[in-house]
Amino acid sequence: MTEERTVTVVPEDGLHARPAALFVEEANEHDAEVEVGPADGDLVSAGSMIAVTGLGVRGGDEVRIVADGVDATAALDALEAILTTPEDELEG
Amino acid sequence: MSDERRVVSGTGVTPRAGVGEVVRYDPSADLPDPPAGGVDAGAERERFAAGREAARAELERERDRVAEAIGEEEAAVFDAHVQFVEDPQIESAVHEAIDGGLPAPNAVHEAFADHVERFEGMDGRMAERADDLRDVRDRLVRLLTDGDRVDLSSLPEGAVVVAERLTPSDTAQLDPERVAGFATATGGRTSHAAIFARSLALPAVVGVGDALADVPDGTEVLVDGDAGELVVNPTDEERERAATEDLADIRPDPVSTADGREIEVAANVGRPAEVEPAAERGADGIGLYRTEFLFLDRESPPDEDEQYEAYVEALDAFPDGRVVVRTLDVGGDKQVPYLDLPAEENPFLGERGIRRSLGPDADLFEAQLRALLRAAADGEGDLSVMFPLVATAEELEAALAKVDEVAAALDEKGVAHARPELGVMIETPSAVFVADELAERVDFLSIGTNDLAQYVMAAARENDRVADLHDPLHPGVLRAIRRTVGAGHEGGAWVGMCGEMAGDPDVTELLVGLGLDELSMSAVTVPDVKANVEATNAEAARELADAACAAAARDEVRELLGDPASRRGGQSE
Repeated sequence: MTEERTVTVVPEDGLHARPAALFVEEANEHDAEVEVGPADGDLVSAGSMIAVTGLGVRGGDEVRIVADGVDATAALDALEAILTTPEDELEG
Repeated sequence: MSDERRVVSGTGVTPRAGVGEVVRYDPSADLPDPPAGGVDAGAERERFAAGREAARAELERERDRVAEAIGEEEAAVFDAHVQFVEDPQIESAVHEAIDGGLPAPNAVHEAFADHVERFEGMDGRMAERADDLRDVRDRLVRLLTDGDRVDLSSLPEGAVVVAERLTPSDTAQLDPERVAGFATATGGRTSHAAIFARSLALPAVVGVGDALADVPDGTEVLVDGDAGELVVNPTDEERERAATEDLADIRPDPVSTADGREIEVAANVGRPAEVEPAAERGADGIGLYRTEFLFLDRESPPDEDEQYEAYVEALDAFPDGRVVVRTLDVGGDKQVPYLDLPAEENPFLGERGIRRSLGPDADLFEAQLRALLRAAADGEGDLSVMFPLVATAEELEAALAKVDEVAAALDEKGVAHARPELGVMIETPSAVFVADELAERVDFLSIGTNDLAQYVMAAARENDRVADLHDPLHPGVLRAIRRTVGAGHEGGAWVGMCGEMAGDPDVTELLVGLGLDELSMSAVTVPDVKANVEATNAEAARELADAACAAAARDEVRELLGDPASRRGGQSE
């Protein structure tokens, strides 16, 4: 089952150190293949820190997350939560 | 090598200067030549897997150490490094290189090469990822080659570390008691090394560039973190000035304004490890002891004795001073696993602070008060206890009644205890308007400017869109502070301030003028604020405060205060 959604990134510095680490960790925790990328661009593996930080996503950017697998909805929910939480409120 | 004086420029990141001898540091590990006959790919893959495990364990240890010594925010970079270590792209590139005949360390080096280069070519924050990758790569290579690291934690006294770059783990090892400072060729004000330098109050200059390569090991240098200069072979005069200026910064005794008004300058403390450094930086006491560290990141609440010991330890660190402990302030933004805090539509306007202590967390509140009253009897310094987020006199009455109740119960059991000074944190507009009622019932008021500005301006601190409104220099906030101070004094209470504003050296004069009796801040800025208090004339400060409160807009207030950059002598941020 493939699902996708588009999310506006809240942390000001985008997908850098802490939010990116949490994002990648979460992407790897679910039973789904997850890809991420700019709303109108190519997707990369959400489970690779190098790929995710290499996107250069900043706060205010729109990103598309696509998940394929039994856990797709849960994965997207969790990843969306990370992308929409200000950096200083992120846990973990 | 000439011993002529010369100056190389970079970016200064701390308002401190230090003198010492250069110790050059190069963390990059030497790669062995690959064996001519190829490698056992299976064995090398296993070696890589083991090295990766070791790197992860090392990163987790360093993460915990940095979280304890510096802070959670700075420690977060190690989480990112763990993800880089475990990156599947790196793993497959390493495996491919191994299959191509390279031993594990060389394969790691090769697997990172393209990525490092790609990030290096990007600008700003992205270039910092190149540093992260190099850091992770060098760590893996070192662990795979059993290479030893220069131990930065045991450098000779007065060493000035000079390096191409310092990684977060490098910087976190530097002992501010021994090291005189550091200079790096790369990096900017927001690099990890710069942030750590500020946390540790270390003199540091970053981004010096290629000129740093010409500064030989063992040369005497002056690191001027204020001017952003590295002076090679400084004159005797410069050397002396740098040494004495920093010493003069620390004022171990209470300070007064030039015309004799005593102002207590205290430190904010968020965990026990910060108590000792606060005393060392000359704080008169602790103006805000946050107790959340005792309650967060655990599965069950701390028991009374554990709390008691933490409070006594803080009191013993300030035998002649005052320690203001804030009772548990959770709810809304701070989650505690065992408290089952409700999700709320407006957490900042919800059940938090004293509202929880008088409601669902009444048992925790009672245990905390018991620990506090016992510590008041046994610790050396003077204990003060304050209640967070009070909005009404009724809440205060209820909290005070709880103190009486706990004291009576301890009496009955014959447990030694004493009544601490009691106070209220002024964070809500309502507390400002009823400050007179509150002051009549307690010994002191302490203004929390972060939350007060947020509530007075109705602008959330985290919301970038309204960040501009979240500034305590708006006349609305200044008038709230003035009103609180007036009502407090009229009611016989002393009035302090424990928000970020108190530690901003640019506004010391204004705060003295507003009539505050105590200022409490992060320990790093205590020496600067003490120096500013001594340089202030209380009467002139009062006129400045009058004018600032009469201003119609924040820009007028800023104008009255002058240009912050020039007032602070170049220290920005």
